[in-house]
Amino acid sequence: MKVTVKLIGPFVNQLGWSERETDVAPPATVEGLIAAVGIDKARPKIVTRNGRAVAPGEEVQDGDRVVISPIYSGG
Amino acid sequence: MNGWTGHILRVNLTTKTFKVESFTEEFAHKWIGGRGFAAKILFDELAPGVDPLGPDNKFIVAVGPIAGIPAPNTGKAVVAAKSPSTGGYGDGNLGTRIAEHLRKCGYDALIVEGRADRPTMLLLEEDKVEFLPADEVWGKGTYETNDWIYAKYGKGVGVLNIGQGGENMVRYAVVRSLEGRAGGRTGMGAVMGSKRLKAIVAKGSKPIPQADPAAMKKIGYDDLRKVQQLDKESGWSIQSTNGVLAWCNEVAALPVRNFRKTHHPDAWKVDGERLNNARIATYGCPNCTMRCGITIHDTAGRESELDYENVGLLGPNLEIFDLKQIGTLNYLCDDYGIDTMSGGCVLSFYADAVDHGAVPGDIKFGDAEGFEKLLTAIALRQGPVGNLLAEGSLRAARAIGKGTEAYAMQVKGLEVAAYNCKFIPGMALAFGVSPIGAHHKESWVITFEIKQTSRDSYGPEKAQKVIELQRIRGGLFEYIVSCRFPWIEVGWGLENYPKYFNAVSGLNWTLDDFWTVSDRIYSLIKLFWLREYPQTDRKLDYPPAVWFDPTNVDTEGPIAGRHLEYDKYDGLLQHYYDLRGYDRRGIPTLATLERLGLSAEAAAARKYGSLT
Repeated sequence: MKVTVKLIGPFVNQLGWSERETDVAPPATVEGLIAAVGIDKARPKIVTRNGRAVAPGEEVQDGDRVVISPIYSGG
Repeated sequence: MNGWTGHILRVNLTTKTFKVESFTEEFAHKWIGGRGFAAKILFDELAPGVDPLGPDNKFIVAVGPIAGIPAPNTGKAVVAAKSPSTGGYGDGNLGTRIAEHLRKCGYDALIVEGRADRPTMLLLEEDKVEFLPADEVWGKGTYETNDWIYAKYGKGVGVLNIGQGGENMVRYAVVRSLEGRAGGRTGMGAVMGSKRLKAIVAKGSKPIPQADPAAMKKIGYDDLRKVQQLDKESGWSIQSTNGVLAWCNEVAALPVRNFRKTHHPDAWKVDGERLNNARIATYGCPNCTMRCGITIHDTAGRESELDYENVGLLGPNLEIFDLKQIGTLNYLCDDYGIDTMSGGCVLSFYADAVDHGAVPGDIKFGDAEGFEKLLTAIALRQGPVGNLLAEGSLRAARAIGKGTEAYAMQVKGLEVAAYNCKFIPGMALAFGVSPIGAHHKESWVITFEIKQTSRDSYGPEKAQKVIELQRIRGGLFEYIVSCRFPWIEVGWGLENYPKYFNAVSGLNWTLDDFWTVSDRIYSLIKLFWLREYPQTDRKLDYPPAVWFDPTNVDTEGPIAGRHLEYDKYDGLLQHYYDLRGYDRRGIPTLATLERLGLSAEAAAARKYGSLT
């Protein structure tokens, strides 16, 4: 299945890309997706799936948009 | 008294006189500095009902016990007065060398009274105050004024100045410093302008009283390096605050078209990546090792410093998705000395009113050149439209009528910051109960709310989090007067702040001691509001009506069909009041005031409004 991954802020510079469509073998979790793209599990982050926050163990579905962002705290 | 100079400088512009006043250790420990000093002075000294733009209002500059001492991000000062935009307590902070120089002149605060008979620049030196003519730069922008001051005194002095917006008493005019810093969006620049005070310059060299200067020096420089390293590791300052724009767009929290929409397919064009790519320089405040001021070239080739708030509100909020065009609007705001947030909201209010046929006009969302002309008209109060919009969105809406108050994105008269809370109840509450009107600095609860709670919850956990953040952001950082970014953005521990405080004061405070001070200041500010608005009720703490409007919901995206609900919001507000010890109007109860050591202030407030 295909999942779009969007990175926010410093993750863009860390991984060198901003947004890409990824082929993922089902079943796949958000946690697995984060590991697959190469973001440290321990790094504080907020992950949304189609605009809603998700838990690490939640499964992703074909066509999802997953956004991985550091935890901003406001200007 | 270690930690404080123990002195406040009182200046009268009408009589061109000054005096140095001492304060007690008890006063220092009770109010600490910055917002604490300012709120206490304004509460004690301003007569209720005073005209914010009249000579009887007082303009305060106040710093905290760690100001001017090399340690992470301590180069900040608070400016405060009765607010021309809200009629209540108003303040703001900004990065400025005044923080250091005011203390090195021997003062922890400056009180400016009266009104000068001509444009004036105050020059503060050790044991000396001069009232100098500023006619030469009256009518000039903040950049030219700053250059004029630097040419006279060099770049190392502390400077606060205003542009034409402040001179013309635009109600959301700011105070400017260091060419890129602005503060006091509650109209503090207008208060300076009303006093014909174009600028304040301070240069001092007295030692700042500290209990253990050697220890503080070592801690301070070590920690500056540590914060710099944390920023490097996290990469935060690569995109700086504008990193959050793309996230707001993804979670439907971006202001688009006067907050009518929450996301836009072109938002990526003005996000943190694009800002970083367009960067020509980076600026920061004194004692900062995680500088957040990214400049780009605007459409005229001028250097314009952008962050999330001004990109959000002068960009997508106006349906402008070109960084150079946003840079131009931002440059004009900065040079005129107008708040970029309120400026953006006022422009979007007017475009919305025109779009709905409430007022005639040809301004349209996306019309960058049209908005440039409007900004100039506002700053110079040119013509009926410029004059009207210089009053802010709430006053303008009330003058126009025709239901346009619904288009004014404000709380208590202060326009909202760049977070669209159409379906984010906790952040809406944070705007509602901010003590100066809708501002994000008090409690930025949005990531907690989206990550750790159900978005549609109106439960007490959100009210509790708002209070927790208010104690830190609107409390600790505003009275110790230090930038909150090391803590909020790169994980610098809160426990470091009592460490600095204790090193300079010789005290042995813990964080818990500070939370009482925070609650005391918030309650005192509530009493200030009560005196100004004796018939106050909880509706003053409601966020903009458009967020509750079922006809204004998103038609697609993550919050399609959703909006805030009045009865549920009111319940959330009640949770906040209960946890704070406030009554149903949102006023601290007598028991709360007594617990916080505010019995004398309660007695003073009771002459004007009831307490329960």
